[in-house]
Amino acid sequence: MNKEKAIKTLDEIKDMMSRSSQFQALSGWSIVIIGIFASVATVVAAAIIGLDMPFLHESHALVPVNVRIWTAILLALALFIVCAATVTIMSYYKAKRHNLPFIADRRMFKMATNFMIPLVTGGILSLAMILQGHYGLTSSIMLIFYGLALVGCQHYTYPSLRFLGYGEIVLGLINCFIIHYALLFWFIGFGVLHIVFGFIYMILYEKKTR
Amino acid sequence: MAYIDGLNKAFDNKVRLGIMSILMANGATDFTTMKSLLEVTDGNLASHTRHLEEAGYILCEKKFIGRKPNTLFSVTEAGRAAFSQHIQALENIVKLHS
Repeated sequence: MNKEKAIKTLDEIKDMMSRSSQFQALSGWSIVIIGIFASVATVVAAAIIGLDMPFLHESHALVPVNVRIWTAILLALALFIVCAATVTIMSYYKAKRHNLPFIADRRMFKMATNFMIPLVTGGILSLAMILQGHYGLTSSIMLIFYGLALVGCQHYTYPSLRFLGYGEIVLGLINCFIIHYALLFWFIGFGVLHIVFGFIYMILYEKKTR
Repeated sequence: MAYIDGLNKAFDNKVRLGIMSILMANGATDFTTMKSLLEVTDGNLASHTRHLEEAGYILCEKKFIGRKPNTLFSVTEAGRAAFSQHIQALENIVKLHS
């Protein structure tokens, strides 16, 4: 065996090792669609609680949870469920179309577990803060923990997912310091970033399969 | 040419190399996942896994999920050692020629 062949063989081994540990059924269109859902939900939320969000101007003031805030919480929960269902169903059909493994795929479970741990933690934390009247950092916490969740599952799917995660974390951290623009950051983080990343994802990973 | 020693004949094939790489990186892997990753036919994959199983490098566990047969492959200690040695041998070739 010559040197070139040995290098080529080693590259094939490396490539198969990294490719085989990725969950490839994640659907690009579903990322764009959840971005659109989140954008619409932000507009609805702005209509319900008011764009200027008067209770955010004084971050130390404890504002009791009122009906409008409960509506916003329920809206956010509904959005999460709809988005999770969209990604799961669309990825399932993508797997079916391209004959990729899905349900039996152990990588999907690893990815889902690594994704849910930071997400559920952040969700409970922000709910607790809302119930205790601290609204100021809610959107930051959601963005930061969602970003961490994305970064955390990068090893189990296409690794560029982490760039979406970094984007969410940076937005969340900036949002910590300018809290009365919470809805705007929400709109950019969960709406715009998803739509943009979804299209990039489709161009990078899904172009050749269609 | 002593440096050729250590290259394992059992891995002298792209599919078998692929099977070992997948198992080393992921632990146990099922037949369907393996097939789609390697882009080979059922028969082709089955013959290569049988070969590796006979060599004692992988374990093959057949079971049923509902009514569907599901074959789970995993790497044995011997397989892990043999594959590491094979990679080492490849790296030695690269080193000796540079």
